[in-house]
Parts: sequence; structure tokens; C-alpha cells
Amino acid sequence: MSIMVLFFSFAADRMNARQKLYDLDGTMTVKEFFEKFLVKPLGDPFDAWLFSVNQEWVDGDALLHDGDEVAVVPPVSGG
Amino acid sequence: MDVYQITQQVIDPSALLQALEDPGAGAQVLFLGTVRNEFEGRASQGLFYDVYPQMAEAQIRKIGEELKEEFSVRHIVIVHRIGSLPVGTISVAVAVSAAHRDAAFAAARAGIDRVKERVPIWKKEHWADGSSAWHDDKS
Repeated sequence: MSIMVLFFSFAADRMNARQKLYDLDGTMTVKEFFEKFLVKPLGDPFDAWLFSVNQEWVDGDALLHDGDEVAVVPPVSGG
Repeated sequence: MDVYQITQQVIDPSALLQALEDPGAGAQVLFLGTVRNEFEGRASQGLFYDVYPQMAEAQIRKIGEELKEEFSVRHIVIVHRIGSLPVGTISVAVAVSAAHRDAAFAAARAGIDRVKERVPIWKKEHWADGSSAWHDDKS
């Protein structure tokens, strides 16, 4: 299965990309995905980031599905 | 009329107030957020706003729907501008009309608080010395 992951703000800077396609062997949670693929390039631990799946905020235990649009982002700071 | 927008265009408060017009409304409250000339004591010349556009629009619409359920409001406007904005520019507007002022003030306050909590928008500070930095970036 594959998921599209979007990055914004300094997550995009650290990934050097606004979006990346990831192929996963099987179902995993957002936290498992983060630990496997993103903790290294992003450089800050899980708790430093917010996650959305298909444009809804989710916790780390949310399950990923084929075709999901995931965003991994810093705390929001609009206003 | 309700208005929910993420925009690169100038926010015109008078146009937003027109959207709120309603013969059943006895109150309109308009909150405007503007770009400040400093952050945590350091001089700034403006902000760049990054956005996750589809999700941001969905979130402000959802906030509007919540406000309608929780407060007796007639109409709601939530508009956030993005891109590079100099000091003094209006970056966000939350406006509501209601029959009475208590509901209008409470809904506008809740509206801007929720925008700041959950709408996927990020600020980068353009410091007066020419350097820049994202908010919350500790690296």
C-alpha cells in the first residue's frame, strides 16, 4: 500500500519536500510510520509534531490505509 | 451569508460585515488579527504564512458549524490570509452576527481561539535584521 505524506512549515524545510509518496509493507499506525520513516529526517521526536489523515487531526494510534493523505506538521501558529 | 475563506487577497472588513447583515441581528462583532512589529521582544518586519489549503478550509468551515450549534449566531465569517504580509496587515478576520451582543462576543472569541488552535497555518517571522525563522522551530 502507499500513502502520500504532506509537509508544511519547517517540516517541509527539513524534508526538503512538500510531499512524498511512501510504500508500506502493511497496515501500521501513524506513530509506527513516523518512527520508521520520519523521526530521522525530521530530527525531532514524535511529540513535537501534529498529524492529520485525510484532512482530520489524528493521534498516533490512528491506522493508515492505502491511498491515505497524511500530513506531518509542526504545531499550528495561524492568526 | 456565511463566508469561509483562505485567501491571498486583501481582507476588506466592510465587505465581510455586509455578509453578516440580517434583519434579525441586533449585534455584529468583528475580530481582526494584524501583523505585529515584534515577537517575544525581537523586532519584525512581517510574516509569511504557510497553509495546508484544503484542510484549512475544511477546518474553518467546521469551526463555523460548531459556533452555530453552540451559540445563537445568525451568520459567521472566518477568513485567513496567507503569503507574505508586512506589519500592520490584516491576517485574519472572524466576524459574527447575532440577535444579542452576548452571543456575538462569545462566538467571535471562541471562533478566533479555535482558528489558532486547529487550522493548519504556520507563521514564519521575517525579522527586522533580514533573517527569518518559523515559529516553534527550536533547531
